[in-house]
Amino acid sequence: MSNPADVVHAQHVAHEAHHEELGFWRKYVFSTDHKVIGIQYSITGLLFLLFGFSLMMLMRWQLAYPGVPLPLIGGLFGDARMPGGTMLPEFYNELGAMHGTIMVFLGVVPLAVGGFGNFVLPLQIGAPDMAFPKINMLSYWSLFLGGMTMLGSFFVPGGAAQSGWTSYAPLSVIAGTGQTWWLIGMIFLITSSLLGALNFLTTTIQLRAKGLTFMRFPFFVWAQFVTSFLLLLAFPPLEAAGVMQLMDRVAGTSFFMPSGLIVSGQVLANAGGGNAVLWQHLFWFLAHPEVYVLILPAMGIVAEIIANNTRKPLWGYRAMVYSLVFLGFMSFIVWAHHMFMTGMGTAMAAFFQTTTMIISIPSVVILTSLLLSLWGGSIRFNTPMLFATAFLPMFGIGGLTGLPLGLNISDIPLHDTYYVIAHFHYVVAPGTIFALMAGIYYWYPKATGRKMNETLGKIHFAGSLVFMNVVFMPMFIVGLAGVSRRLFDAGSGYDFAQPTMHWNVVSSWGAWLMGVFQIPFIFNFFWSIRNGEKVGDNPWEATTIEWAAPSPPPHGNFAVAPQAYRGPYEYSVPGAAKDFTPQHEAS
Amino acid sequence: MRAQGSRLCLVAVLIAVLGSPGVAVAAATITGTVTFAGKAPALKPLAMDADPACAKMHKGPVPAEMLVLGSGNTMANIMVWVSKGLPAGKTYPAPKTPVTLDQKGCQYVPHVMGIQVGQAYRILNSDGILHNIHTLPKINPAFNRGQPATVKEMTTTFAKPEAIFQVKCDVHPWMSAYIGVFTNPFYSVTGSDGKYTISGLDAGTYEITAWHERLGTQTATVTVGASDTKTQAFTFGVK
Repeated sequence: MSNPADVVHAQHVAHEAHHEELGFWRKYVFSTDHKVIGIQYSITGLLFLLFGFSLMMLMRWQLAYPGVPLPLIGGLFGDARMPGGTMLPEFYNELGAMHGTIMVFLGVVPLAVGGFGNFVLPLQIGAPDMAFPKINMLSYWSLFLGGMTMLGSFFVPGGAAQSGWTSYAPLSVIAGTGQTWWLIGMIFLITSSLLGALNFLTTTIQLRAKGLTFMRFPFFVWAQFVTSFLLLLAFPPLEAAGVMQLMDRVAGTSFFMPSGLIVSGQVLANAGGGNAVLWQHLFWFLAHPEVYVLILPAMGIVAEIIANNTRKPLWGYRAMVYSLVFLGFMSFIVWAHHMFMTGMGTAMAAFFQTTTMIISIPSVVILTSLLLSLWGGSIRFNTPMLFATAFLPMFGIGGLTGLPLGLNISDIPLHDTYYVIAHFHYVVAPGTIFALMAGIYYWYPKATGRKMNETLGKIHFAGSLVFMNVVFMPMFIVGLAGVSRRLFDAGSGYDFAQPTMHWNVVSSWGAWLMGVFQIPFIFNFFWSIRNGEKVGDNPWEATTIEWAAPSPPPHGNFAVAPQAYRGPYEYSVPGAAKDFTPQHEAS
Repeated sequence: MRAQGSRLCLVAVLIAVLGSPGVAVAAATITGTVTFAGKAPALKPLAMDADPACAKMHKGPVPAEMLVLGSGNTMANIMVWVSKGLPAGKTYPAPKTPVTLDQKGCQYVPHVMGIQVGQAYRILNSDGILHNIHTLPKINPAFNRGQPATVKEMTTTFAKPEAIFQVKCDVHPWMSAYIGVFTNPFYSVTGSDGKYTISGLDAGTYEITAWHERLGTQTATVTVGASDTKTQAFTFGVK
């Protein structure tokens, strides 16, 4: 009973024996159960992904048909944003800034870390709950407040933030009221992530099942563990920077406002002594590790699904774990490759180019290991596996096209063009989001006791794969032609952009059709709650500990505290009676 | 027949009321001409090369708008308004007709304008290219909005009175206009003939101010009777 997980488990069992049934509000709204909180995070993340995607679909209309009134719904946005249905540049900027913010901080992070981390991680390590259930609840509600603040900012005079998701100073300091709301919203979101990270780290270290050594962790647990370190160490500088920018805006300080700043022909009275580049350093010190916050949980999900559906252990598990840890460490010393355009000296540029090239090595090790894991496997191409295998080449394209951006000489002409948009969307859209979709199809039976419909899942997958590429592949061409990503009319006013204008039409139709192919997913998600195929505890015949719990798991998760007897991926063990040997089963 | 009789009665009553002693009619007018003294400086024409679409709209050099003189050195773009002497507490409703600012040939037309609080400010884009309208007030909220080629018209209002401030285009830095926001209709902007006219004033003594964007302001005091027309000239020069 010395294992902390056993102690907590015993407390849960004792509590379960004579606790009263919780009311609706305590059970579903202000819940402290990690599974309910995980589902809250997931639903919130999915809704924000849909909202952020909708903002992008509006932008795509303007980029494909600049200046043409948006049919049917254009008039709904009012004269201040779309007079006669035609999009004004300020509204485009609003959509761009909020699309990025919402997709990253309110869509992918809540789903990948808050959703999957909360729901799956405690189950996978055999814990009855998170180490700090009330802090867990606080973490979700902090995210909720941040999300509501961001949504509310659309209704303030002048609209939401318009200074890009990076909020570069001094533009962001002199921007309208929406930027103040953005900063307050970010403070809530960062606080949420910090609380969550603390909880994940403590839970992973303290509440893992007996026998579950670190090298017996499923790769997903490792991914969430390293991700939590990144969040814990990288977010505080941005939180500080956010408060400083807020002070510049409301209290007359000049942290990021240089002396003699002239705006619209007038010297700003409140500017003096600050440094706009400081904001970029503080922002990217978070935002580059943030890239790995977006991608590591995705890699973790894909690893679980590939091992399960190839019926093989992961190829190079240890190398993958070491690469993951190295990658997490290195992610803190590459941030300034986003800033070659600031006039960085050659010595500094050389340092950040070198670290950037080095960080690609562990990424390649992980991706290669996942690819090699497919070799010789008895692959089951179910929906989760389709999304997981599609992740590999998509993330590969995203990663490889990032290399030219990590080198000063090639970054300068490509910086701020559509090439950059294409690169990082290949990482996080057909990369991370495909992995998240894979994870939803994979763990849905654990959360609901039913499987999602396979036919609808495959339609969702096929349409998403095709049209995701139709959206982003043309952007490489547009970007290589030098078209800036900031132009509200896709460069229609410039001669050099004319040969690329038709690619915007292709991208836009790709985006709208991709939207159409999300309808089967949305329908399937809700329909399967009541009508999906009923399943037992371990429908995928998987080896990791979460499948030892009932589907859906009750409060406290396990009737008896599980114990780990072996590594996480004992598939197709020679001589075994079946092709999977669960971690929790004593031999 | 009955309707015609009613109209006649109404006219008779109006004549009686307006013609009777003791009822003041706001019919006084102050007018005048603004001229430039001395030799006009040679100003560089506007450089529109930064946007070829703008440069193409003009056959030759576009004269600077800062100083526009008519024959006899009369000055255009001088705002003249009643700065003191209006009856306290009297309010003047904003006209229903809007004040229009057009963007034509990559220039603001008119260059100087007045508007009443609450009156519609209509912004046109006759050029069919991207412009930006950026007002730089100190009291009213700034209006800073792009106007793409296909958005031909936008409208805003000003909620508070404010001394003359600049309107500029952040896309085309040479584009500049000035606007004053008044609580009353007693202001006028000179044309190239230098003439201004402020009418509809009550009898009284007024301070009137004339303003030029670079040459500053001048004031004069004028006393008018109930239906007087008084003349007040202004002369600006480079000091």
